[in-house]
Amino acid sequence: MRKTLFYVPLVLFLGLSLFLLSGLFSDPRERDAVMVGKPLPAFSLPDLMNPEQVWSPETLKGEAFLLNVWGIWCPTCNAELGYMSQLRNEQGVRIIGLYYVLPEDPMFGEVFDLAKLQVDVQSRLQAFGDPYQFNILDRQRRLSMDLGVSGAPEHFIVDAKGIVRAHHIGDINPQVWRAKLAPIYQQWAGKP
Amino acid sequence: MKYVARLLCLIVTLSFAATAVAEQSQELFNFESEQQRRIYAQLTAELRCPQCQNQNIADSNAVVAVDMREKTHELVLQGYNRQQVLDYMIDRYGNFVHYQPPVNSVTIWLWLLPVLMLVALFLFQLRRRRNVDEDDSTSSEVLSETATKAAQQKALLSNELDHIIERYRSKKL
Repeated sequence: MRKTLFYVPLVLFLGLSLFLLSGLFSDPRERDAVMVGKPLPAFSLPDLMNPEQVWSPETLKGEAFLLNVWGIWCPTCNAELGYMSQLRNEQGVRIIGLYYVLPEDPMFGEVFDLAKLQVDVQSRLQAFGDPYQFNILDRQRRLSMDLGVSGAPEHFIVDAKGIVRAHHIGDINPQVWRAKLAPIYQQWAGKP
Repeated sequence: MKYVARLLCLIVTLSFAATAVAEQSQELFNFESEQQRRIYAQLTAELRCPQCQNQNIADSNAVVAVDMREKTHELVLQGYNRQQVLDYMIDRYGNFVHYQPPVNSVTIWLWLLPVLMLVALFLFQLRRRRNVDEDDSTSSEVLSETATKAAQQKALLSNELDHIIERYRSKKL
């Protein structure tokens, strides 16, 4: 009895150390994936390049896709354009952009200018690569809020029936894609 | 020119920052009643910004926090009560977004563990004290008992030794 008691502090200490050690490797941005398993929230938003085209959950159904929340104001988003283009060209991943517009500050004379935004986006995509089938323009960030988006870049995997299957906060790089997202995408896209 | 204006604005803002602590959110919202204003103030203080992590949405100027403040205002004006607004946000951002986590099978340990540890410590201390007391009362008896046992053993051993010596001598002769 006395001998076992002797080891109790050691065991407690080791347990605490392991617990704290695991904390060092956890991602504080990781949140409960509330959206996973739910259908896409209702929306009706214009296409970024062709505003007459209106997208809604129904028009996106039919094939699984990767929804990428991004903006040209976001450096990480620009950095991942290259790798995502590779995913599109080499693995045939269907990637749809959800363009996250920053609020304008009228005090500084900022106004929303769609034509200028289209030109800027076009030149950015030419420089870094264009992974998108098309972009949905979320000017009021309503759909972003309904999806629980806290910033850019964020990614969702949506299956052919419009059900969200994964929510990834942060960028996509080869490691994240292979370890976390590719298995889920392949499961729902039905591709090898 | 734009940057000079921004810089000037920043300097002015910073110089007023100390006096503006009570009024963190920059938007000027109108409410229909004092009660709505109170609910709004309470909600923006207890909703957590999902982007900047350790600020509530009243303190934060991240885009998502501004959007959440506007949404909260909109919902409060629509007649949502505190719990309904909280549910709206938790539906989208998870329990993460509220500074008061719900009590469930995982979080219950936050409350239980300290109590359990306190009880365990108390029991441990109680046991130790009792053991010490018992040791004190029984020590003299135990001591004498072991002493007599040791003496008996010593006598047995020397007896045996005598025997061996005796046998050895008789054989040699």
